[in-house]
Amino acid sequence: MGGENKADVLQGTLDLMVLKTLESMGPAHGYGIARRIEQVSSDSLSLNQGTIYPALLRLQQRGWINSEWGVSENNRRAKYYSLSRLGKKQIDKETENWERIAATMARFLAPAR
Amino acid sequence: MDWLRTLLNRCIGFFDRKSLDQDLDEEFRSHLDFATEENRRRGMPEHEARSAALRQFGGVTQIRERYRLRRGLPLLDTIAQDIRFATRQIWRAPGFAAVAIVTLALGIGANTAVFTLTHALLLSTLPVRDPGELVRLAIDLSAVEANGHNAPLSLPIIEAIQKQSRSFHDIFAWCVYDFPFRDGTVNGGIHGAIVSGNAFRSLGTRPAAGRLLTPADDQPGGGPDGLAAVISYRIWMARYHADPSVLGRHITVTDHDATIVGVAPPGFEGVIVAEHPDIYLPLEFQAVLYGEPTKHDPGRLWLDTFGRLNPGVSRAQAEAEMSSLFPHILDATVPPAIRHMPAIEKARFEVKSARTGWSKLRSQYTEPLLLLQLMVGAVLLICCANLSGLFLARASARRQEFAIRGALGAGRLRLMRQLFVECLMLALPGALLGVGLAWMAGPWILHMLGNAEAEEAISMRPNPTVLCVTVACAVFCALLFGMAPAWTASHASVEASLRKSHPHASAGGRGLRNVFVPFQVALSLALVVVASLLGATVARLLTENSGYRTDNVIFALTDFLRIPEKGDALVALYRRMAARMEQLPGVDQASVAALSPLMGWRWTNEFVAAENARHARPVEAKENVIVSHYFSALGIPILAGRDLQNNDADRNSCIVSKAAARLYFPGASPLGKTLRSINHDRRTGVDTYRDCLVIGIVGDAKYDSLRQSPPPIVYIPLATGEAGMTNAGSNLFFVVHARSLAAAKSAFLATLHEMAPSSPEIPPMEFSQTLHDSVARERLLSVLSGFFALLGLLLSGIGIYGLVAWNVTQRTTEIGLRMALGATRPRVFALVIRQIVSLLAIGVLAGGLAAVFAARAIRSFLFEIGPGNPIVFAISALLLTLIALLAAALPARRAISIDPMSALKTE
Repeated sequence: MGGENKADVLQGTLDLMVLKTLESMGPAHGYGIARRIEQVSSDSLSLNQGTIYPALLRLQQRGWINSEWGVSENNRRAKYYSLSRLGKKQIDKETENWERIAATMARFLAPAR
Repeated sequence: MDWLRTLLNRCIGFFDRKSLDQDLDEEFRSHLDFATEENRRRGMPEHEARSAALRQFGGVTQIRERYRLRRGLPLLDTIAQDIRFATRQIWRAPGFAAVAIVTLALGIGANTAVFTLTHALLLSTLPVRDPGELVRLAIDLSAVEANGHNAPLSLPIIEAIQKQSRSFHDIFAWCVYDFPFRDGTVNGGIHGAIVSGNAFRSLGTRPAAGRLLTPADDQPGGGPDGLAAVISYRIWMARYHADPSVLGRHITVTDHDATIVGVAPPGFEGVIVAEHPDIYLPLEFQAVLYGEPTKHDPGRLWLDTFGRLNPGVSRAQAEAEMSSLFPHILDATVPPAIRHMPAIEKARFEVKSARTGWSKLRSQYTEPLLLLQLMVGAVLLICCANLSGLFLARASARRQEFAIRGALGAGRLRLMRQLFVECLMLALPGALLGVGLAWMAGPWILHMLGNAEAEEAISMRPNPTVLCVTVACAVFCALLFGMAPAWTASHASVEASLRKSHPHASAGGRGLRNVFVPFQVALSLALVVVASLLGATVARLLTENSGYRTDNVIFALTDFLRIPEKGDALVALYRRMAARMEQLPGVDQASVAALSPLMGWRWTNEFVAAENARHARPVEAKENVIVSHYFSALGIPILAGRDLQNNDADRNSCIVSKAAARLYFPGASPLGKTLRSINHDRRTGVDTYRDCLVIGIVGDAKYDSLRQSPPPIVYIPLATGEAGMTNAGSNLFFVVHARSLAAAKSAFLATLHEMAPSSPEIPPMEFSQTLHDSVARERLLSVLSGFFALLGLLLSGIGIYGLVAWNVTQRTTEIGLRMALGATRPRVFALVIRQIVSLLAIGVLAGGLAAVFAARAIRSFLFEIGPGNPIVFAISALLLTLIALLAAALPARRAISIDPMSALKTE
């Protein structure tokens, strides 16, 4: 659904988005996470929903999230992801990281305004 | 930590592939179901809801691939893929694989076998503390003596070095010994060493049980435990079954009571390579056995001496310091008479690294082993050339396959890697088989060293170092023979290859293949020439007239030091025993001699004819001390005069060999004349002389080795000497010639048991064996090089066969056409052979040239055959040509049996 005004997801930001989503929503399945990200970004991000899965795998391999098969409210089997203890700690670190980058970028962009 | 956890998870992902794949598919399915449902809720029709969900998701396959790459270990995956593919390829052509593996096994096995020996004898580091610090101190005699490269030290010299030199610490002496040994019912010999009290401390060795020797044990009168003995781990296991109560046990070594105080650690064999002492006693034992003066005799060079370099001192610095100190040390310790002997005057001090220990076998075997190592290297190269050729042929047959894979997107590197994996999968089993072959051949190679001690002490079991070298060999081979095919394969033009209708119609790699044959032929020719020269050397040495009878003769060493008979009685006992043996059934003659010929031992003395003593300089001759019947027992003819009598009447007589007669009495008969032997007294430095009457002249015979021509020899009768011994000591040989070896041995043993029951029993040596063992080095060289040359020939033959067979297959259509157009069979045969003849000619020329250099390099090993012997070269070249033509004729015969019709029909 590549609209012209939609931004590509910056490398590495997807991880933080997933973590934040899980933090606010609690355990969720892949589709839920993808939809939530689209909604929060008000559909301004171009996200192939499938790309969420390699990101989920990466986070899982680092031990930041856990996964478990479960049943959804409308009785569908789905794999649920939840933050691990390690992941909760990691959110602060990643957030700080991101804010530093964002602040730096903002300073670069400020004079142009 | 993150990366570690990721790696771990990836490993799990690698092994749990199948269930994870299912898991992923299910997750995607549920994702799509969610999306479809939501779309439907928003009011999309059924089929549109599904396709919209798929669009939102992105490419399912691409995502799955990305996911998978991240999940497992993709590199391992592709390698596993390569291995699976290679296995299929190898399985598809089992004959090819078998030839490749066997070829490699022969080549790598030969390398492993020779390297195992080289490693054991020359390269293996001693299992001691800081082996790099260890040096051996010795006297370098190479300026005067060709054979004895270096000599050990005497105790006074060692003590002087300890006092004066600042280069070393922890200097210790070592001397291997065979001791008579008694423990309960066991009464036999034991191989051991006497060592300085600080030797074990200096080596940093820790005991397996009890304690090791200390300086306190090495005192006159013994240490706290009396005469302390340390036994090897080996006999602790074998004889005492690892019983800890062995500590404190009383044993008898050379008639002296000793106490076992400890056990050396497993794998510790001391510092002398190819010796394996089973008992270690303090140096003081020498004084117990032979008296303090013998232990401290400055002129007796008997102690192999080792030390550690002080921190910051290099070996060269230590040697420089010692060479300035050495003359003063000699002045202070050695009596003037010896000090000014030419050998000692020209001697230099040498400090050599002892990281790998030391062995007298090294001076003998270093060069032969290097030569063999080069030869097996050449064999391995021939192997690789062979396989390279075979692989090229296959690669060109598989051209289409490579082209298709290239067209489907396989990278060049990927293709090369795949071929390399295939080569490796042939090379590694080959190496494994090779190690097995080397292991089996090990005992046989060791036996050819002709040194019983080394045969027992050296282990030919492959150790980690050897295995590493073998695996490296295999990888190197795989690279070498996989390189050419990989190169041509990766450069195949996709389009051109795919367009050809026949997979084998291209001629790729032919130029390369043509290089291999001359290369193989040249190497093989050099190998064959070297092997023939060495073989001829052994044949000449063994058929050379030694001057002795060797069949049914034994030399039996005695140890009469501790029997009751001394002085005159001892001399009489030797004579009586020889006479007694002659009375026993089957014995023809029995005699006594101080030395056994052809064992590398020498006694020299200076003689002059008494009548010329005033104006002629004394000249050196070899000497032996004998009793009557020595010449008849060994089949040496008495040319004039008579043999010795079996009593003291001939005390002042002597017998000379023909060469000695010519040397001292030129132009006249020496019978009845007087020969004067000059003795330099070691202690007083005064020359004394002894006159003896020449009563016989005997035929010439070789003395210490078969290589030297018969030297002048003077035979002195056995007589009473100093210190209750004979004039030749108390360790003389009985020489027995009998109807059979068994008769000779049983006569010796019966007499020994009857007349000297308290003396230790030493197994007699067969003289024919002594003769063979005296050329052990040459025999080892010739047998192994002969084997390697044969291997080279065989492999070259296979290589040529392969090339011609491949060519015939390639040209089936062409040959069919020619025959259809009227070419006769002989012409077709010639056509096929002609191509190989030019390659062969190039190979023989290049090989001949290489052989000239190789033969010159091994000149010092040769005996009575020139390195440029034209017959050897001609026969070698002829042999090689014959084998090459034979190998080419087999496939050529197939070429002429091609049926033109069927050959053309396949086109």
